[in-house]
Amino acid sequence: MHRLIDDNQDSPDEMTELLKSQDNDTIIDGPERPNITNLPDVAIIQTSTDGENISSNAAATASSHSRVEAIDPQDHETTHRHRRNEQPDEQRPLNIEHEEIFKYGASHVVKLFVPVSLCMLIVIITIKTTSSYTPGGATWAYTPFTEDKSTNTQRILFSLANTFIFMGFVITATVILILLYKFKCYKIIHGWLILTTLMLLFFFLYSYFSSISASLNRPIDMITICFITWNIGAVGMFCIHWKGPLPVQQAYLIFMSALLALVFYKFLPDWTGWLILGVISIWDLIAVLCPKGPLRILVETAHERGEQIFPALIYSSTMVYMVTAVDPPPSEPQFAPDNINTNIAVNVDETLNEEQRNQRAAIRNNNARRQLIPRSDVPQTATRREPARYVVERSNSPVIDDDDDDESVKLGLGDFIFYSILLAKASALGDWNVTIACYVSLLIGLCLTLLLLAIIRKALPALPISITFGLVLYFSTVYIIGPFSAELNLGQVFI
Amino acid sequence: MVSLSKKSPEERLNICRKYYRAGFAFLPLLWLINAIWFYKQAFKVEPYPQQAQIRTYVIRSAIGTLIWIIIIVAWNITFQLLRTKMGPLGDFLTFVYPRGYY
Repeated sequence: MHRLIDDNQDSPDEMTELLKSQDNDTIIDGPERPNITNLPDVAIIQTSTDGENISSNAAATASSHSRVEAIDPQDHETTHRHRRNEQPDEQRPLNIEHEEIFKYGASHVVKLFVPVSLCMLIVIITIKTTSSYTPGGATWAYTPFTEDKSTNTQRILFSLANTFIFMGFVITATVILILLYKFKCYKIIHGWLILTTLMLLFFFLYSYFSSISASLNRPIDMITICFITWNIGAVGMFCIHWKGPLPVQQAYLIFMSALLALVFYKFLPDWTGWLILGVISIWDLIAVLCPKGPLRILVETAHERGEQIFPALIYSSTMVYMVTAVDPPPSEPQFAPDNINTNIAVNVDETLNEEQRNQRAAIRNNNARRQLIPRSDVPQTATRREPARYVVERSNSPVIDDDDDDESVKLGLGDFIFYSILLAKASALGDWNVTIACYVSLLIGLCLTLLLLAIIRKALPALPISITFGLVLYFSTVYIIGPFSAELNLGQVFI
Repeated sequence: MVSLSKKSPEERLNICRKYYRAGFAFLPLLWLINAIWFYKQAFKVEPYPQQAQIRTYVIRSAIGTLIWIIIIVAWNITFQLLRTKMGPLGDFLTFVYPRGYY
């Protein structure tokens, strides 16, 4: 398997070993093996080999690398020693490496399945049990035109108009975020993210609880609700923006994505929703893969600076080794804060997208300080808008023998949100065939994306493949497969 | 995304202390997470100089969580039983009014 190494992320000696063991065309020929004492030199070596890198979307930035090294020298050393013990100077057999690659691949895919499925589950359960999250009702500033039109043509035209307005918001938010990032206005981005998460955590949580309580039909007092909201919100702020246990952080990110998806689902008109899903997949594709795409610029800028992209917006499946690198302000990921407006719907979308994009790019860039298998996943940035398409893979020091979760797969939160929206719309019909077909298609799309990621090792948009599959499956199931199987059932023909 | 084992003992103590202190702001959930997260550090890992301090924080966080749980449960029982008898105060405190059925 052709191995593109994100050299920035590999520690030099790991890189050396990988390169030696590979017969493929690795550009870098025999980089020197830094000794353990030269920890700061690691960063220097990595930056010097930047130009020679095949795939450049390695996340580990030199500065953060050196920062991490400075803080955790003992871990690095043990890692090095372990590596050396495991793998003396001779090459490892290629098949073992191949095994490792594939092993990481499968387990990582599964690690992403669980949070995505959980998010979808939360969204669907909420929709099914409460009545207040059904679409219709108030219109939204992002999609100002309603769809109560007399003819289909009119409906399509107005839906298209809605979609373009929405995409305009998304693109504007992304561009602003990238401009802010380029001009190093980290404080603004930081503050923005904090505000967004604040609003998301407290206000949306409050309305979520009110819907749940209304559907449960039990009297709950104001004091308990305020107390619970305050608790969950404050702990969320702690875990997402500062340090917290990993499962709690993952749970919060999943829950936030579910909340956002619910808001989206409630406020998006029907046809507009489908069009938006399609257009945003295309946008994701363009933004990530085109040389001038904003997200790509973001990734490359972060890559040049050696910074992490905002971790807050990205879901990481395992511990990230560069924990300490997260602390410095630029690398702190956060939810894109939405501008606090009175109209919540307005705010939610915009801020998130940018943040998400940043995060996505960040995620990719920040991936693994050391990557045994460089895989660029598209990080999905969090919160709203951006359908973080990038699933980022980050391998924490692979040489740590007892740590199975060396590589962490990162998925942007935007991807969570849009997958959940698709599934929510699919389940709105009430037909389980459709729901399950869409769910399976989304997961297959995710698998394929991760596979592509493993092969290409660059940041990839995670939305297009899955959403395409989901849309195709949805419409074909509703209009073709559903009636077909109904007819078969009536005629008692079993295939 | 933090791994406690990869942090220095001072940082662990710092995190534990911050969680403990922040929990006084009516945040028993924070105490609960603190107790669970640092439980292994306080009791199961071989001792290091800061462990004694972490241990006190963990124990106090656990006690604080228990106290808060008792308070919340007591308050909820009171409210559910006396809601209809409290008059205007009961209505004011109610967050959601249950619907009648027809």
